[in-house]
Amino acid sequence: MRLGVDVGGTFTDLVLHDESNGRVVQAKTPSTPEDQSIGVANGVKLICEKAGVDPKDISLILHGTTVATNAVLEGKGARVGLLVSEGFEYTLHLAKSWTPGPLFGWIVMDKPEPLASLKDTRGIPERMNARGEIVTPLDREKATALIDDLCSSGIEALTISLMHAYANPEHERALAEIVKERYPDIPVSLSSDILPEFREYDRAITTVMNDYVRPIMKRYLSRIEERLASEGLSSRLHIVRSDGGLMSANAASERPVHTVLSGPAGGVTSTVMIARRTGIRNLLAFDMGGTSTDVSVILDGEPTISRSTEVGSFPAKVPTLDVRSVGAGGGSIADVSELTNSLRVGPRSAGARPGPVSYGRGGTEPAVSDANVVLGYLPPVLLGGDMKLDVDGAREAVGRVGAQLDLGPEEAAQGILDIANEVMLGALRVITVQRGYDPRDFGIVAFGGAGPLHANAMAELLGCYPVVVPTNPGVLSALGFLEAEFKNEFVQTFIRSTKGMDADMVWTRFAELQDKAVEWLDAEEVPTGDRTIRYSLDLRYEQQGFEVTVEIDKATVEARGGLEGVIERFNELHEQLYGVRFHVPVELVALRVVATGATMPVKESIAAVEGSDLADALIETRPSFFKGEWVDTPNYDRAKIPPGVKVPGPAIIRQYDTTTVLLPDHYAELEPHGNLLIWPNSKDA
Amino acid sequence: MSTVDPITLDIIENALKNARFEMDGVVVRISLSPVIREQHDEFPMICNHRGQMIVGQFGSYIPAIVEQFDGDLNEGDIFVWNDPYACKGSISHNNDWCVMMPIFHEGVLVGFSSIFGHMVDVGGKVPGSMPFDARTIWEEGLRVPPVRIYDKGVLNEGVLAIMLNNSRTPDMNRADLMALIAGCKTAAKRVGELCDRFGRETYMAATDMLLDRTRDAMKVLISKYISEEPVSFTDYVDDDGVGNGPFKMTLSIYMKDGKAVFDWTGTDDQAEGPINFHIHEGLCKLFFGVYMIMAFDPDILFNEGFYDLFEIILPEGSLLNPKFPAALSNRLNTHTRFFDCQAGALGQRAPHLSMAAGYGTSPHFIFTGHDSEGKYFQLMELLFGGVPGRPRGDGLDGHAWWPLFSATPIEYIENYYPVQVDSYRPVKDSGGPGLHRGGAGIEKVYRVLESGKISIHDDREVVPPWGINGGLFGGTSAKWIVRQTTGEKERIPSKIDNLEVEAGDVIIFRTAGSGGWGDPYERPAEEVARDVRYDLVSPEKALEGYGVVLGDDLSLDVAATEKLRAERRAERGEPEPFNFGFTPQSA
Repeated sequence: MRLGVDVGGTFTDLVLHDESNGRVVQAKTPSTPEDQSIGVANGVKLICEKAGVDPKDISLILHGTTVATNAVLEGKGARVGLLVSEGFEYTLHLAKSWTPGPLFGWIVMDKPEPLASLKDTRGIPERMNARGEIVTPLDREKATALIDDLCSSGIEALTISLMHAYANPEHERALAEIVKERYPDIPVSLSSDILPEFREYDRAITTVMNDYVRPIMKRYLSRIEERLASEGLSSRLHIVRSDGGLMSANAASERPVHTVLSGPAGGVTSTVMIARRTGIRNLLAFDMGGTSTDVSVILDGEPTISRSTEVGSFPAKVPTLDVRSVGAGGGSIADVSELTNSLRVGPRSAGARPGPVSYGRGGTEPAVSDANVVLGYLPPVLLGGDMKLDVDGAREAVGRVGAQLDLGPEEAAQGILDIANEVMLGALRVITVQRGYDPRDFGIVAFGGAGPLHANAMAELLGCYPVVVPTNPGVLSALGFLEAEFKNEFVQTFIRSTKGMDADMVWTRFAELQDKAVEWLDAEEVPTGDRTIRYSLDLRYEQQGFEVTVEIDKATVEARGGLEGVIERFNELHEQLYGVRFHVPVELVALRVVATGATMPVKESIAAVEGSDLADALIETRPSFFKGEWVDTPNYDRAKIPPGVKVPGPAIIRQYDTTTVLLPDHYAELEPHGNLLIWPNSKDA
Repeated sequence: MSTVDPITLDIIENALKNARFEMDGVVVRISLSPVIREQHDEFPMICNHRGQMIVGQFGSYIPAIVEQFDGDLNEGDIFVWNDPYACKGSISHNNDWCVMMPIFHEGVLVGFSSIFGHMVDVGGKVPGSMPFDARTIWEEGLRVPPVRIYDKGVLNEGVLAIMLNNSRTPDMNRADLMALIAGCKTAAKRVGELCDRFGRETYMAATDMLLDRTRDAMKVLISKYISEEPVSFTDYVDDDGVGNGPFKMTLSIYMKDGKAVFDWTGTDDQAEGPINFHIHEGLCKLFFGVYMIMAFDPDILFNEGFYDLFEIILPEGSLLNPKFPAALSNRLNTHTRFFDCQAGALGQRAPHLSMAAGYGTSPHFIFTGHDSEGKYFQLMELLFGGVPGRPRGDGLDGHAWWPLFSATPIEYIENYYPVQVDSYRPVKDSGGPGLHRGGAGIEKVYRVLESGKISIHDDREVVPPWGINGGLFGGTSAKWIVRQTTGEKERIPSKIDNLEVEAGDVIIFRTAGSGGWGDPYERPAEEVARDVRYDLVSPEKALEGYGVVLGDDLSLDVAATEKLRAERRAERGEPEPFNFGFTPQSA
């Protein structure tokens, strides 16, 4: 039995899968932000009781965690010491000198304190050049004195990030030895281990971020293991990486920076599952929560991977699922600008407390959810019946904003939704059209609490159909973890023009990386039959600043032939992405080997619905506001919608963990795997 | 004019903003030169059918170009130019190549997209095309008047060949130009989609309303902060590179006949050297507008709607309105001082919203030569300095005053050029003392590994960046060369071209800091002590500038500090609104 655990800001979601009978059980328990492991343990207990299983029978726990992200966002990480090359002590302080736009953007810039303080930074006498040759030898005596000074000052972790260490890690390793000998209890991260790529600021900040969250992650994971053990579990704990892969708990406590996007990864992995099962191979993942919306692209059944992400104001150069986040969610607040009288939505959010006005917890400013209430999209009582919404309060608050623009409450509510949709549309456009993909070639998967409320409108704007509302959109992330695979990436920066290059230099390096990959797969005990190793090269036109990753198949790597085919593929990709190819030399920047270990797919059995009459699913008919007028709109219980029946729009479809808005001129139907699909009527015309 | 409902209007505003950032994304990904790619020296905009900027950051030059073609614009036309004199100062030196594309929807002109970006080299007498000692624009590289680089969709190979043939870096320029064009095409596509989605009439009406909306906001700001009684401010550019200077720039602001007048009368005559800033009147308006917007409500859409509320006086033959063929390539010093005067003048009416002066230019370092394999190399790098003390907090140490720029990674430079950077740090004591300390300048130490030539362009070596509201002035810039043969440290000027260097020579490049904001005696003493521990402020400066007394172990002496500060306050009285640290010899 496998258990997926997703710890969110408000709830901890759990999904248990029993391979022997295909049964899937879900549970939800309040999160415990002060110590997330308490909520996890509670959840495990709850789900075992609910499913009637013995905790001992759970063999694997797959866990997505926001512990690392939160530590960075809240500035609550460890005190990190930093050793750099002498002369570069201010690398983090200067932070690439970037200031925001437009002109005078610096007037309003807030710059956070670096993750490693200047008082905890020491410059070591040593220097490598770009080729990895020693220019100034390491002065061990001085280095030891500096290390003693720093390591006895109360730091909790140490980062070593020296100039050009990606080209030659010798000095970093020598310093690590000195520290290990004298301060064996202080965890050390080397930039040449964490991110062996050039660009000193990015490498340093990523490695420091690793150390910043490392002691916290370590404590957290050991607490979880203790608590699970006391609940009688002896299962292996795996942590979901930012790129959707899995790593052992042990690896996660060494390299927690790889988990900064662990949370959203589950939803993307689930979307991949949906793509593979439904045969809709191109999908947009649309995860709309309370404060923000995460979007990403699934292309031909594969997620897209990005080489970097941002955590708060800090860049982290680690492989992540390419998830775009925008500050618009159900809790985003709408207000009117004083000077221009324009309506604005977000990024300010009502959060869980006080929450939108309609939650009746003291919120006074209208949020996106309130607009959904005003228009009759969210019913006054949510299914499950435990939460009543304050419809009058929402209407009054939205009305107040509308009055400033001479709009009635309905028009204002519609406006709030339209603007929130436009903001989210911007994010979807970045990940599609900006990358050369046509959104009309994609469907859109709606999840998160608010996703299904807005997805039909997004599809109408972008032309991405069908809208897919999964069976359990509220716990989709936890479900996604169950299908995550083991994954690790091995990189070597190797900057060299391909013009006249001996291709053997590439193949030899690939062989070395492959050895490392196999070693790792062995350590993670991945059975031989489940292993996959993939190869790619990062290429660009000489002196260009961004690389295009070109996949290379195993046969090509083993054949050890010329690079012409690879370069032509690069030219094609560049043209596809940016509409232009150049006739200048192509340059190699890095080699990558990605090792994966497959996990067993979740086989979900679907509860059959009796009967074939849609009328049986009708809960009530109540007014909702569509296209400028109130329309009596049927509200259906999703669990009772018979398969193969077309639900005509407009309609509201309710279920335990979400509400779906089906717009006029659209219809919905269930597909064989239980997903609800929404299509425009014109599809069949 | 038909009206558009407020929601559609806001959607179109958001969509145009998204499109404008998409332009950046496209340009940065395709371009080859580090100046555009790593440092983002490119400026996109989207205009309406009259050429008024709706979104972007520089704006204003389209009508002057359209006029030259008698309005003969066709679908698929793309224009390019770089001659400041042939486009009424829409761009201000030859290095900026500007691309403009009319946007058609179903055959009807609905707008323009345009981007200009800094080319690494456009010919002329020195690598980089910005000779510090040019006396006419003829020395500053190829001048391209507005021409069609694409005529109804067909590339004009001849124009492209001429442009590239006159550059030392043709491959880079080709890619960078194609990047700018791709950016414009992206915007055109988005505008077309908006016309499809909302209807062309609605889209065009909306762009007018967006202009009006910003105009209304500006009207409120003007009535609040600009009065009939003039406020004036004077600042100086060090020198023009050929031995003249400092150059005075004076700005007066007042209301007259319901318009805000920005009057540069009193500004010195044009310079013999290349620091003249041939500025388009519309750009002046834009610069004032954006400052007000950023200081008061950064969320206001930044566009040209308010132009008729402003009047600009640029005395003919002055630094800001030079006569052809005055040299222009190093106009950035004047350009930046323009902003310093603006902040100084506007700040007097609203001290709580005012900013001090910054490092005051865009410092350049250029290193050229041939490597051991005989291959030509040309490193050009922009440096940064002190970003001013501001109401929001301390100035930023060694950050970009210019928007969205960032430092080229040192590991990148060392991978591609025969140079090694020995150290890179903020300059101690260069941030002007203040309640909010001014940002520190940068010190970058380059060791050249091949013989070649270096060029440097910088300013604020003589006239320091001033402090405001009681804040003190910041540190000046300085450069030295340490010859490997002699080991001697020799001062070199802030403007110099083609200085011969040998492998092993070291160049120490220090940029200016910035002025402080507010009374330094009000700065929490613990923050001063921290800056000393971080080696950003010396114990001496802590004592002299802030009245903060530290022990030998740099610990704070609270009692002695309070006593000293009380004495100093009594002695000084109310602080001066400005602190210049510079007195002109003949006022």
